[in-house]
Parts: sequence; C-alpha cells; structure tokens
Amino acid sequence: MRAPIPPIPPRKSQYGIDPSLVKKRVCELPGMTSVLIKELFPDMPDVIYPSDRGIETIRKATEEALKNVDMSMIKPEHSVNILASHHGFTLLGGEPYAEMLKTLRDVIQARTGCKDIRLRAGVGLRFRETEEYIKRYGLDKHFNGKAVGIAPIDEGIPIETEIGTLYGIKKAYDADWIVHAHNSDVREVHFHRQVDRAVKPFGMSYARIETRSTYHQNMGPRAANFVARAIFDSPFVQKKFAFACFLTVAPNGIIGVDADNDLYSLNDRITFIGCRYYGKMMTLLGSIDECIVALDFPCPVVYVFAGGVIYANFAGANTDLYDLDDVPLPSYTWYTEAFYGKKGKPLLSDIPPVNPAIKMCVHNYAWVGYPSVFFSEHIPTIVVGREQADLFNRDPQNLNYMKHALIADDLETAMEFAYKVTGTRKVLIFDGAIGGINVSEPLAEYLLKKAPEVNERVENELLPKWLRQRGVDLRIGEDVRKKYAVRG
Amino acid sequence: MKLVNLVAVVDLEKCIGCKTCERVCPVLAIKVVDGKSQVDTERCRGCAACEQRCPVYAIRMEKRKEPILVGVDVDSVDYGKVIELCGKAKLNPEQVICFCTGTRAEEIAAAILMGAKSPEDVSFMTGARTGCKVECIQPILRLLEAADIKSVPPKGGWQWYGRTVTVWEIPEGVRRKHSSRGFYFDEDEKLLNRVKEAPLQGRR
Repeated sequence: MRAPIPPIPPRKSQYGIDPSLVKKRVCELPGMTSVLIKELFPDMPDVIYPSDRGIETIRKATEEALKNVDMSMIKPEHSVNILASHHGFTLLGGEPYAEMLKTLRDVIQARTGCKDIRLRAGVGLRFRETEEYIKRYGLDKHFNGKAVGIAPIDEGIPIETEIGTLYGIKKAYDADWIVHAHNSDVREVHFHRQVDRAVKPFGMSYARIETRSTYHQNMGPRAANFVARAIFDSPFVQKKFAFACFLTVAPNGIIGVDADNDLYSLNDRITFIGCRYYGKMMTLLGSIDECIVALDFPCPVVYVFAGGVIYANFAGANTDLYDLDDVPLPSYTWYTEAFYGKKGKPLLSDIPPVNPAIKMCVHNYAWVGYPSVFFSEHIPTIVVGREQADLFNRDPQNLNYMKHALIADDLETAMEFAYKVTGTRKVLIFDGAIGGINVSEPLAEYLLKKAPEVNERVENELLPKWLRQRGVDLRIGEDVRKKYAVRG
Repeated sequence: MKLVNLVAVVDLEKCIGCKTCERVCPVLAIKVVDGKSQVDTERCRGCAACEQRCPVYAIRMEKRKEPILVGVDVDSVDYGKVIELCGKAKLNPEQVICFCTGTRAEEIAAAILMGAKSPEDVSFMTGARTGCKVECIQPILRLLEAADIKSVPPKGGWQWYGRTVTVWEIPEGVRRKHSSRGFYFDEDEKLLNRVKEAPLQGRR
C-alpha cells in the first residue's frame, strides 16, 4: 500500500484554530494509506499542476488560453474589475488560482493598455476570507493596492432581470468592464447540481443577500440556479461583461485554463468535465457501504475535500446528486435542511436520509463560518480539542454545533472511540490530499475493487443521462478532448 | 430562538466614524454619534456583521458575561393565525428559515403577530438573520408581506433592499425558454407546494 499523501497544511485564519493546535493529522495515524485518482480512474485527464514545472505552468496556460479571447472592447482609458471568488483559493493550496489572477491582470494590461485594473474578490459567509487571501498571495501588491474583498452585506446595486429586480454588490460592478475569473471545481453539487456551474457566482459571490436568499429559499432546489443566469443575462451585466477565464480542475488536479468571450460555451465544457470526472468520484464514494469520516482541512465543515468531493456532497452521496429527474432533494441542501420538522423528521416522507454509510465523523480540523449544525445533528461527531469546540461556540453561525458533538482531548482518542463504537475500519479522510485520497487500508482495497464497475456505469449509463438533463450535447466531449490531455 | 453570547465592542481610538457598521447591522444596534460608533449592548445580537465589515478593524466581538436568550414563544399567539400567515407566504410553519439559529417560520410569524414591522424587528425579537446575516432575508420579507406590512429599508442602510421573485412568480415564457437547460421550475413549484401542505409534527 502507498504512503499517505501529505495533506494541505493548517492555515492561519480568523475562522480556524491556530495551526499550532493541530497536533496531528489523520493521515499520520497507523493503518492509513493513499489511492491515486488515476489508479481508480485511468482515464482522468493529465494534470498541468502540480507538476515539476511548478507554478509557471499556470501562467503559461493562462496566457495561452487568453490568446483566443477578444479584448478589443477594453480601451486604455477604461476600468476593469476582475471578479474572483474565495473558493479558488482553496484549490491545491490556492497558489494556482492566485497566479491565474495575476496573469490575467498582466495580460489585460499588455494587450489593451488599460491600467485601471482592479481585483474584486467575493466571499461566501466568511466576509473577510478573501481579504486574508489577498494578503497571503501578494495580490494587493500585484494590483497596485486595487485588490479588495467584497461581501454580500456591502452596498448593493439593483439589477433588472427577466424575473424582476435582483441585487448585486455595487463594488463588483463599478467598472466599465468585468472579467469573470473562476474555476471549474464542482464543490457544491448539492446546491448547483452541475447546472450553470460557470454562471453561479453572478448569483452568489458577486451578489447581495437578497439574491442569495432568493436562490436558497424562494426558488426550489433545481430552479434556484436560474437566479444566476437571470443576472448574467441582464442588460446591465451583458453591457459590462468582457470575457471569462477559468482554472479548469479535475479531481486529480489542475488540467488547464479555459477562457472565452462566450460564457455559455465555456459552461458546456465544464459541465462535461464536472459530470464525467467528478461524477465518477461522487458515484464511487457513494458506493461505500460504511465508514468513519475524518475532517482535516482549512475550510468550514461542509467544504473539506477528498478527491475533489466535499463533505457536504458525501453526506448526500447515497443519492445521485447529478440526477435532476429522480432526485429533487439531495440528502443535504439548505432546502432539505429547512424541510425537517419540529420532531426532527423530514416534512415529506420521500426526503432521503443523510448518507447512512457515514457511521461517525472525527472532526480533527475544520473552520467555522458556515452553518453546520445539520451535520452534528445527523451524524455522530467527535471534535478534537477544546479550543476547536470553543471556536464553534463563539461562531454566530454555529452556536448549536457543539450541542450535538462530543469533545476528545486528542486525535488518537477520538479515532479509537470511533473504531470501537462503529465497528468499521474504513476511514475516508477529507484533507485535500492532491492527486489522490487518503484512506485506511480496508477502504483503499474497497475503492480499487469497485472503481472499474463505477467507471463503466458512468460512461455508458449515467453520463449520457446527466448531460441530456442539462441540455448539453454529448459531442461536447470532443471539444474537451481536444483542449485537454484526455484519454478515452 | 438564539442564545446571544457575544457583544460588539468598539475601539474608539481606531474608529473613523465611516458608518459602515451602522449600515450593516441587522438590528440597528450600532450608531455613529459625534463621529464615533456606539453600541447599544442590550440590542446587540452578537452577529459580528459590524466586526466583519469595519474597514479599520475597530470592532471586536467579546463574550457576554451574561448571555441573553432571545426568541418568541409561538404559544403566546393564536396558532391558527400563524398557520394562515405562513400559508399566505407559501411556507410550512415548521420549516426552518434561519439555518444558523434554527428559527422556524412559525416563530417569525409569531413575532409579526406580536408587532414586528420590519426585518430588523424580526431579527431583534427572534435572533433570526443574526448568524450568517444572508440567507433568510427573503422568507422574512415574504412573511411580512403576507401580513400586509409594507416594510421600508432603513434609510441610508445596506441591511436589505427588497423582496425578490419566488418560483410561483416565474413567468410562463421564462419557464418555456429555459426548461431544457436543467431548470426544473414546474417540478420545484410542485415540491414547494407539497412542503407547504405537509402535516405539522410539533402540534397535537
């Protein structure tokens, strides 16, 4: 069995405990190993990062992708807002996304002569998160002091759409042109269901609270994504939109950079990538019969990563998150969470339970800043260290998280307890390991045995269905194959 | 219901009186007076919106010596009226509206029946919208509208701007034009109608 892959290190942040308090990582415990994504699915694309060529490869890929983009609308006297989102900085340590943003700025200036180029970096529910990244990656310096974090409670601007008035963050749109700088990692499949993934930030990172609440409370789980499309299609945004530039990601790493003046073309390509590659990982992990989950990543509980899949998705992996016809409500979304009644049971009998394969959650390291009580309420959870428990008890979004969780003094005690109580030795570690996943040996054996069958099923049965449901032609796969190092 | 265990504290040396804190506070508990921010500690619901947006980092959140439990007892109002109000807003009384505090539609409705006239009143009375500060503004506005209350956003504030569209209001033309791209308007409308009509669990 392979040695575990070094996990993403703890990160100093106001949303997490001090890195010095993370005494041990879960993958360092006895019996842990790793499985490479390519061992599971040999047809995963080749990655450009990480590689021995380092971060320079991201700069080169960005420059190459931008060669096909029309920037003639940007004049030297104009202003440009490069719109970014927090999530990009959580991918592979954050450096690739930061490098793409820096390159974007440099290329726009070189090609157009425009010098008033700003970075506006949106957030989720941790309003200073991108401020931290801007400092960490030297973006403030690179953008000559014109890099700021923007939050959904900042001053808004009404945007007239075909479904009425929605609201954006004023600072996102206070330039002549906007450049949409994002990534294709799927992350919240439980919310966006891989529908208009490329468009979503217009309804989230760049949007005010009214718009985000529309998405999560007014529309329903499969109509919600239209909120972002309505804003993007609005005359106000269309007048400002110059082009999009995306870090293209697969479960095993960065596979390239995609840039286009037509966001919907780019969207079709990343829909294919999301369904084909992430769909395989999601389906494989969904086949696990029983396991202990370990959280060990500098992100809120829901967003910790394993092989490109976040914990929130694994909590719903007992259903097919990509199936829009037969799965109206995944086991976890905010709509699902909302629909549990006062006796703790779903209001509708057909709401699926949280993934019953998760027997226990060992919370070694994860951040606050996202309402996570649903997880400790529905999954037996043991938190390592009183400092981490105290942090959750101070977080306005998680005042009830610890009401349902136990505290262990150290990781070893927590794991021993989990082994004893659950009776399983299968452990899935969400620690952001790059290129593979860290797991216990019994789970590694299980995954390696199961993967070929999952591969067949996704290729022949599920992928055609998923793309049909989204109105995406299966032949888009040809474009993707040409663009990236894809086999099969 | 929320146990408020934090309170905002202003460092007057650092405060520049820019009013950002005043504009983002969901319960109107912080105000700039004579060029400096002042916190009404009894009113503060510990959401940290001011602390998170202060451009000069002049605000910190401190633990309250004595936490305050805020909430509205739904049994103190006519539950028939709660059901009526929620139904009009197309919500099930038991559905969760604020994921951070676990506040359900029935409690927001009860707050409105007890006199809340704005999202700020609702947040002050129930604690809803004092966690993430983001996700529950629309159902609160829908419930206020269902009670025929015309709320006006705080003058000069950024607390909220207006109610937006619901799935029931999506025009037929929009549904037809976009349904082939994975937007399930009709099906989700049916789903939300089923939730609205679902039997209550907590009442005898």
